[in-house]
Amino acid sequence: MNFAIVVHGAPYSSEACLSALKFAKAVLASGHSINRVFFYHDGVHTANSLIAPPQDEAPVSEQWQEFGTGNNIELIACIASCLRRGILDETEADRYEKSASNLAPGFTISGLGQLIDASINADRVVTFGV
Amino acid sequence: MIVHTINKVSALGLCNNLIAEDDKVVLLEDGVYLGLQPLPFLVFAIRFDVDARGLGGLLAAQTESIDYSDFVRLCAEADKVCSWF
Amino acid sequence: MRSILFVFSRPPHGSINAQEGLDALLMGSAFTTCSVLFVGDGLMQLVAGQSTDDLGTKNFSLSFGALKDYGVTRIVCSKPDLLARGLNKDDFLIEVESLNAAAMQAFIRNHDKVLNF
Repeated sequence: MNFAIVVHGAPYSSEACLSALKFAKAVLASGHSINRVFFYHDGVHTANSLIAPPQDEAPVSEQWQEFGTGNNIELIACIASCLRRGILDETEADRYEKSASNLAPGFTISGLGQLIDASINADRVVTFGV
Repeated sequence: MIVHTINKVSALGLCNNLIAEDDKVVLLEDGVYLGLQPLPFLVFAIRFDVDARGLGGLLAAQTESIDYSDFVRLCAEADKVCSWF
Repeated sequence: MRSILFVFSRPPHGSINAQEGLDALLMGSAFTTCSVLFVGDGLMQLVAGQSTDDLGTKNFSLSFGALKDYGVTRIVCSKPDLLARGLNKDDFLIEVESLNAAAMQAFIRNHDKVLNF
């Protein structure tokens, strides 16, 4: 069975991206597959490379990076949500003449079409909202 | 059969008349507080969230604690998942 | 064709989330059969006469008039939630079907996937 996972919440502001990661790991451990993980609304903050939590707090963004890269799973951050919230890759930083880019490795900025495509093609869609 | 997820107490008001008799409800995050009272549905609560909040001994008898692999299995068995927040 | 039901439960303007939900619906309707169900405070997105000029935010409610043109199949709201809020369909800026609980349960079941916003 193939799952699409949607994440609406930012690290620390909600539990959504933590719960979604645990769910995603359980999906793979159960022998199922993940179509892609789509970060929307404040969920795109998960893709911020500048997050530097204290040592004794779960580095959720980093954990997502390791999960995506380690399991070859697409972690997509919605471009419209990203631009509103200041999560930029190099292309967008150049386009909007911003001083820096901050998209974390393992994440890709893309459009809402990726959410719809995943929703159509996956067997199940599970949203972790706020 | 639909799996409904609820992640906060106030979200129950959105969906309590949309949960059919054969549907299942998974409480997660702050939604596990709903598990302290019996609800008129088949209710599961994510153990990590129950334990984080110290609710292990306080859940209603009808609320079954589950882990994430159970959650995945429930979603796979369902026709679809509806998330309330 | 696969169908997606968009469920909108948030009021407008208090956060960008309601507007981003609509963006997702409009994108969805370009790909496949989509319908929308307004529940809870989501019904407030439909209230006519929203004016955001002074607030300075986008009055995205104006886009609801185009949902049919975008191919959104059915636009539905919760009758119990409508009554609970003391609203009626005349307060809305577009024509919306209102469904009771049993009809909403069937409506949800009749779609392949649900995306909640």
